Amino acid sequence: MMARAGGIGITNAVNVGIAVQADWENREFISHISLNVRRLFEFLLHFEATTKSKLASLNEKLDTLERHLELLEVQVSTASANPSLFN
Amino acid sequence: MAVLVEEAIAALSTFSLEDDQPEVQGLAASLATERCATTSPIEYGDVSAYRLSLVEDTKAVNQLNALIHEGKEMSSVLYTYRSIPKELGELPDSMKHSQAELYLETYQVLDLEMSRLREIQRWQSSAASKLAVDMQRFSRPERCINGPTVTHLWSMLKLLDVLVQLDHLKNAKASIPNDFSWYKRTFTQVSVQWQDTDSMREELDDLQIFLSTRWAILLNLHVEMFRVNNVEDILQVLIIFCVESLELDFTLLFPERHILLRVLPVLVVLATSSEKDGDSLYRRVKMNRLINIFKNDPVIPAFPDLHLSPAAMLKELSVYFQKFSSQTRLLTLPAPHELPPLTSFQYSERHYLIVNHIGAIRAEHDDFVLRFASSMNQIILLKSTDSTDVDWSKEVKGNMYDMIVEGFQLLSRWTGRIWEQCAWKFSRPCKDSIPADSLESSTSNSDYEKVVRWNYTADERKALVELTSYIKSVGSMMQRCDTLVADALWETIHAEVQDFVQNKLAIMLKTTFRKKKDLSRILSDMRTLSADWMANTSKSETDIHSSQHGGEESKSNFFYPRLVAPTAAQVHCLQFLIYELVSGGNLRKPGGLFGNSGLEHSVNDLKLLESFFYKLSFFLHILDYSVTVGALTDLGFLWFREFYLESSRLIRFPIECSLPWMLADHVMESQNAGLFESILLPFDIYNDSAQHALVVLKQRFLYDEIEAEVDLCFDQLVLKLTDTIFTYYKSWAASDLLDPSFLFALDNGEKYSIQPMRFNALFKMTRVKLLGRTIDFRRLITERMNKMFRENLEFLFDRFESQDLCAVVELEKLLDILRHSHELLTQDLSLDSFDLIVSEMQENISLISFSSRLASQIWTELQNDFLPNFVFCNTTQRFVRSTKVSLVPVQKPSVPYGKPSFYCGSQDLNLAHQTFSRLYIGFFGIPHVFSIVKLLGSRSLPWLIRALLDHISNKLAILEPMITGLQEALPKSIGLLPFDGGVAGCQRIVKELLNWGSKTELKSEVLHGIKEIGTVLCWMALLDVVLRQVDTTNLMQTAPWLGLMPGPDGQISQSQEDGDSPLISLFKSAAATIESCPRRSNPSSFNTITKQAEAADLLYKANITTGSVLEYTLAFTSAALDKFCSKWNAAPKTGFIDITTSKDFYRVYSGLQFGYLEEYVEASSNNHDVLGDAVAWGGCTIIYLLGQQLHFELFDFSYQLLNVAEVETATVYYVLKHANYIQGSESLLEAMRKERRLNNHVFSLLRARCPLEDKTACAIKQSGAPLQRIRFENTVSAFETLPQKGA
Repeated sequence: MMARAGGIGITNAVNVGIAVQADWENREFISHISLNVRRLFEFLLHFEATTKSKLASLNEKLDTLERHLELLEVQVSTASANPSLFN
Repeated sequence: MAVLVEEAIAALSTFSLEDDQPEVQGLAASLATERCATTSPIEYGDVSAYRLSLVEDTKAVNQLNALIHEGKEMSSVLYTYRSIPKELGELPDSMKHSQAELYLETYQVLDLEMSRLREIQRWQSSAASKLAVDMQRFSRPERCINGPTVTHLWSMLKLLDVLVQLDHLKNAKASIPNDFSWYKRTFTQVSVQWQDTDSMREELDDLQIFLSTRWAILLNLHVEMFRVNNVEDILQVLIIFCVESLELDFTLLFPERHILLRVLPVLVVLATSSEKDGDSLYRRVKMNRLINIFKNDPVIPAFPDLHLSPAAMLKELSVYFQKFSSQTRLLTLPAPHELPPLTSFQYSERHYLIVNHIGAIRAEHDDFVLRFASSMNQIILLKSTDSTDVDWSKEVKGNMYDMIVEGFQLLSRWTGRIWEQCAWKFSRPCKDSIPADSLESSTSNSDYEKVVRWNYTADERKALVELTSYIKSVGSMMQRCDTLVADALWETIHAEVQDFVQNKLAIMLKTTFRKKKDLSRILSDMRTLSADWMANTSKSETDIHSSQHGGEESKSNFFYPRLVAPTAAQVHCLQFLIYELVSGGNLRKPGGLFGNSGLEHSVNDLKLLESFFYKLSFFLHILDYSVTVGALTDLGFLWFREFYLESSRLIRFPIECSLPWMLADHVMESQNAGLFESILLPFDIYNDSAQHALVVLKQRFLYDEIEAEVDLCFDQLVLKLTDTIFTYYKSWAASDLLDPSFLFALDNGEKYSIQPMRFNALFKMTRVKLLGRTIDFRRLITERMNKMFRENLEFLFDRFESQDLCAVVELEKLLDILRHSHELLTQDLSLDSFDLIVSEMQENISLISFSSRLASQIWTELQNDFLPNFVFCNTTQRFVRSTKVSLVPVQKPSVPYGKPSFYCGSQDLNLAHQTFSRLYIGFFGIPHVFSIVKLLGSRSLPWLIRALLDHISNKLAILEPMITGLQEALPKSIGLLPFDGGVAGCQRIVKELLNWGSKTELKSEVLHGIKEIGTVLCWMALLDVVLRQVDTTNLMQTAPWLGLMPGPDGQISQSQEDGDSPLISLFKSAAATIESCPRRSNPSSFNTITKQAEAADLLYKANITTGSVLEYTLAFTSAALDKFCSKWNAAPKTGFIDITTSKDFYRVYSGLQFGYLEEYVEASSNNHDVLGDAVAWGGCTIIYLLGQQLHFELFDFSYQLLNVAEVETATVYYVLKHANYIQGSESLLEAMRKERRLNNHVFSLLRARCPLEDKTACAIKQSGAPLQRIRFENTVSAFETLPQKGA
């Protein structure tokens, strides 16, 4: 069956074996680098998420303060519109 | 280098990245490369390096893959094709002259679209011929090239699938032939002027045939394929491959499974239609296997809103393929719409409807999540321990690998289920659609509504939401641990491959294949191309020989792990070799792939080879981790409805028809506490669809449509969700405020308790991912809530303003509920403080305004309605509305309509609270004053008191001229009543005396004036009672802090004479302790606290001795009366008490009192209902304050009459003689007695609260001669602190 033209089988098995071995080693380095790049990327994502959360909570506090300040401003303005009160 | 990277990455983990947002959304972001590893990223360029003579095969695979890629683009063009002429419209008459231009313009527009169709036509014919050529080349029995590889088989199937899909889509899109005929018409119009249009016309005819022929692509493919009659073998191989993969199932992810299911019927038709040997197929694959597959999946999803039915397809194709039409068994399969009801029910029951599986899915999910989390923990533990225990590490990683595989399979099954359910629903539109409530809204239900909107029951929607949330949560869980588990996965896969090629193959080489040179060559090739010997440091290949004959254990080769996975090319080659091994390279080999071919290989070895073969195909999915997760959790198809849009001739459907929104809406409508955390998941579907529209379909307009819908839906979501949350918190507060012991005793008490719901997770969503935007959901909710509270307050005030003063208790209760719900809500959200909201809505933010919306409303109400129309009852201490016609008509706005959530939340609670507040609606008394005190507070209450006091003095000023008038109408002299006339005689005399002349009309006005003054006084008396109570409570609360103790004489005394109060000393000692402490942090802040404690001490001490409001009111009235003293209290000229000529106030009042008592009895007009007891309060107070109490008691007409009556009743004779008459006057006398008792009560109360004894005591000289009335200075202490009006 195997005698057909083309045939199955690695033509130069030894060389291929050596190349495959070298390939495994090279790819070990590549996958090491790529994994760490992905970890970096993931860190950035995580960092962004955290930052956004923190900014949101900061924003919320600022909002509260802003509204409070607005209220105080109104109160002060009503009071200072009647200077006679302070005499 | 490597170490540095490692360290740098490890250093990153020292950052603290806490993030409190819960994961209730799907994947946020993923890094995906254009080409994924499932198909080799370098187009199998590295295959040639393995020298397997696969050059031709690789070339073919790449060619087919390129065609698949193009074909997908074509089908997305075709899928998103929208009919143009529909948009063009008719030409108005006025423009008929420019018809030619119009035709030209239309032609140009259409030409662009038609060129795309022409391109599809061209592409399909070239693709079909290439596929046919490819199949022919690789199916020659005397083959001269290696192949086809398994990858190649897959490529053929995929390309075939693309062609089938394209054909199916072309058949389904009705608008395309229509558009084309339009195009052709314009072409004929336009081309009149052109020359040489024959070739164009020919081309047009071709296109027309292509477009209008059903299954034109398949027919063409058939022709191409059977040009040379030798494709049967490969077709049979493909069919076997399909059937076996489908029967094995577990290695397929759902997209592949659907491909196989779609392709199989076409393959069967093609194979049977062969001229040569149509039936040979059924010798290799039993007919029953095919029928089973077709029966199990009667409906297959093809496009998001388009399905395919194998049975219907077979039937339709049999018309075109003569030979196939003899396959009656396949043709009698029922198409989905022909399924009889019973079996269809069984089908859907068993297979399609998620709702039937949701229980099992839930269990699977819960179980999987637990085990996944535990193996994750193991991995983390392993990484942190630096353990050298190889076995343990291998086990943990292997476990993780198994979990990932299981996760992919689960995700694939679940998402596949959703696809299939959709297809099923599309195939069976809802027949008895249109629930009754929407009959009027949509008279013509579009088809899409029938298949989507009305086609999902509530349970099905719930199940869909649940399943969506499982898919998304498992997906994001797996995505998150991507980089954590990646190395473990690589290592495990590496180990698997190495174990197989180094150990298992070694054994096979030694045993089964020892004698077969050819086959063992294949095995050793497999080792050559994938074995990683250097990772196996413990033993070299030679060692294996020596250890071969050792124990069972030592047979397995030990090798060190390497964190590298095999490449796609390696997997490709290994699969090819295994396939070669089992099939012997002969396409005509009977039986299946790993089936009954036990003639050469042992069963065990075959099993090993088979399992490794299928494992290999799954490795690629795992290596392509994030892409696989992304593909398996992509639910974007739920939105697409291009086919239905086209068939219903609409531009868009309302959002109610949109499945994602239906799901979101269902979550909110169902009020199911468990579903609320999934509320954002439907928006993930939109994210997916947008991604699909941009990346796969590449259509901007689809994205725009999605974006518009998302904008709309998200607004709706925020609106509805905040409404739900608000209602929930209101109900919670309202049920909290109901008396628990009362509820406990109640039979149906549980309907007033609420189902707990959790919104905490939603409140923490500060960044919702929506179409690439980040939305601060929490902020939106907070904003909206602030607004809701304001609206609700506004509503409550509006409501109060439309009712009378008695509603103040209800208002207070509703405000309490609102305040309590605010309190509950602020635990999770940072809302504006309630007091701020209240003062904003009351419009008294200003520091110098002491009135408020509520205070002025109460005052207006008092002035316009309460004082004139309410009567006081001294016994009950309540005011009630006079039953008489309202003297002063009151106009009020109508009660505004409010949602139930603006009252107490749910209907039941509304009813409960209404029942309570209804108790207070009919009168005004102590509870109402309590509410007023609580609502107005110390800020506005003084304002109200001041307004009421001013009302008294105004009334007095108004009364003054009238009383003068009445004084003038009194006769010159009025003597004491003579006793001889008896009761009747006296009554007559008094009547004669008091005819008032022309001033009669003043009488009732004066009486009403006095009544109003009396009402204010009574009101103040009630207020006094309440304030006393409130002050006492405050005192009891503050006394321990201020160091106040009850003294021996009942007075308040300070506990420590010289020292500070406990409050101050507490903080002082705290500050001292802090200061003495060696590690003191910041003593200055404690000193500040001490200072503040002193200030508080002062403030609270000042509040202890508060005056009485009633006494103050009396003092004020007295001061106001001083002006009229000269007129109403004329000093007698003689110095003695003036009896006959006195026209003092008491005399006028006495006359008035006699008059109204008489009226009350005679006319039985029940004058009492108009005036009540308040008139006695008013009159007596004025008399008392003028110092005329004794005069009044001596000379009052009624009192005199009573004296006469007393004498009379002593003589029995009189009684007998005038029995009738006495009976008549008895009621008058009774009324007078009652009045006297009331007056006495008021006088005694006044004497107690506003003692004036000193005054009369010094009005008599020692000699006994009366002294002229000394002008009495009203010097009640509180009076001096009274803020002067207008100051």
